[in-house]
Amino acid sequence: MQGGAKEKRFFRSDLGLVATFCLAALVMSWISYALPRFLPGDFVTATYGASQVTLTAQEEAALRADQEPQGGFGHYLWRLARFDWGYSYVFNTPVSVLFLGALPWTLLLMGSAHIISMVIGFVAGVEAAWRRNSAIEKGMVGGMTVLEGIPEICTGVILLFVFALQLQWFPTAGAETAYGEPGFLGHMADVVRHLALPLGTLVLAYFPGNFLLTRNSMVMVIMADYINTARAKGLPPLRIRYVHAARNALLPVVNRFGIRLAFMITGALVVERINSYPGVGTLLYNAIAARDLPVIQMVVLMSSLIILAVFFALEWAYRIIDPRIRHAR
Amino acid sequence: MHVNLSHMLRRDPWFLTGMILTLFFLMVTFLGPFLAPFSPWNMDFVPLSPPSSTHLLGVNDGGQDIFSELLYAVRNTFFFGMISASTALFLGVLIGALAGWFGGVADLILMRLADVLLATPAIMILILVAALFRPSPHILALILAGLMWPTIGKTIRSQTLSLKQSLHVRAARQMGGGSAYVISRHLIPEMFPLYLIGFAAKARMAMFMEAALAFLGLLDPSRKSLGMMISYALQYYYMDIWWHWLFPPILCLSLLIMMVTFLAISLEKVVDPRLRVNLPGRLS
Repeated sequence: MQGGAKEKRFFRSDLGLVATFCLAALVMSWISYALPRFLPGDFVTATYGASQVTLTAQEEAALRADQEPQGGFGHYLWRLARFDWGYSYVFNTPVSVLFLGALPWTLLLMGSAHIISMVIGFVAGVEAAWRRNSAIEKGMVGGMTVLEGIPEICTGVILLFVFALQLQWFPTAGAETAYGEPGFLGHMADVVRHLALPLGTLVLAYFPGNFLLTRNSMVMVIMADYINTARAKGLPPLRIRYVHAARNALLPVVNRFGIRLAFMITGALVVERINSYPGVGTLLYNAIAARDLPVIQMVVLMSSLIILAVFFALEWAYRIIDPRIRHAR
Repeated sequence: MHVNLSHMLRRDPWFLTGMILTLFFLMVTFLGPFLAPFSPWNMDFVPLSPPSSTHLLGVNDGGQDIFSELLYAVRNTFFFGMISASTALFLGVLIGALAGWFGGVADLILMRLADVLLATPAIMILILVAALFRPSPHILALILAGLMWPTIGKTIRSQTLSLKQSLHVRAARQMGGGSAYVISRHLIPEMFPLYLIGFAAKARMAMFMEAALAFLGLLDPSRKSLGMMISYALQYYYMDIWWHWLFPPILCLSLLIMMVTFLAISLEKVVDPRLRVNLPGRLS
């Protein structure tokens, strides 16, 4: 449902790209600044009235001083920049400490899931397109279409059931064994064992999309004349496939990745909760369960800003790898 | 574009599967309250009892009949998807057609807005709104629609731009047709197949979001939802509840998402002439 490559780009100039992302970041920050102010009544009563926490008078005064609107939006941005993100009375810790403690696990999980599913999906897509109309290709496309229809919640729970409860190959929760393995290698093995299930779930969720995208763009590419030329020159098929064709097939995959990213993040939140992986998703879940507003507010804002940054980097990378844009300037 | 559409769709196994699932879920949605043996809010039964002839899927930890819960949950998720997707479609078509047709400053502003929205992760805004205000799911569905129209809007806009140059639109202009007339009589009907794709893709996104929000505990706990059922059942994962409590909502959610995925993929394949090579397409 898209036109040519030129229509697919949504940012015309570099300046427009930067402006769009700055605007999006500002909008996100403003929403997280302004929404709590629309709450009926006083912020502190509204937040902690339904919370599981009982505040002492002193804590309440501190919270009020912290949360009462002072200095407006500019002051809010300045606080964000200084990592002064408020205080969680549920965990009794500054929010920045909580967030920065959870972030590495999420980055590990999301990063490895995206890299693995990107590589497998891309190679499988290229190979499938190359064998178009064969039984293997049809089977793969069919299988991937079905997999694309199974959301992360479902794959996550099924994998948990099969591998953690029935087979007991992997642990059901956590990211490392408490007071666990001595030595660096033992610790690494432990981390990998805990990572396996959430990672497997996310790879199963992301990989079909990458596969289908690559396969479709590759099917278009291999019908182009220059592929015939390369074949006529007698180049080895592997070289034609990956050096000539796949480079161009990569473009729509990278381009679509950014748009899919905002959607895929939803699944990651859920998967962390299913496997009780101590990342940002679980932090957010616990904060929601305890109605811990400062944490929810900051986790939402900071993860959105990180997603924006990744999206921005991808858009930038796309301009660099697409020769039609690189040379058009 | 339209002539062979229904013919080609009728021969596509993915489309047929999607349609069968759609019929099935439509039936569940509309007949659900009559099919349910008990009220899903009735807490009179023995908690955590296994399936029996009275309770087809057993009873949950709160003493509620799981089968009745499931029927209501499917209904809620389905409605959420429909409300959100149709609103997003309406907004996308309206904004896309206006921006493409009038161009100029309106186009610039609307498309910049679309860019900003495309970059913003919708789930984060929904989480914030849901956690702060605890609005009804309908409001959340509408907010989601307000965040996810841009992909449709952009497609419709670029299609409008190319349709503007087509013969029949120029003829209509020549005969003195005004903007409102051309947009409503020529542009909007002409692009009909694109709406179906957009609708299916957005319904998929919306149902998935609803399940995730409910799973994270952000929706009203008295409203039955597939995500919430999974979340509650998961707390008893060490018990023997997998087959009758955890898997049924998982199966229903998967089938719902599959339904829209299959429809979107087969429609995209048939409608997009560049993809008409054979076999399935892609999703946003």
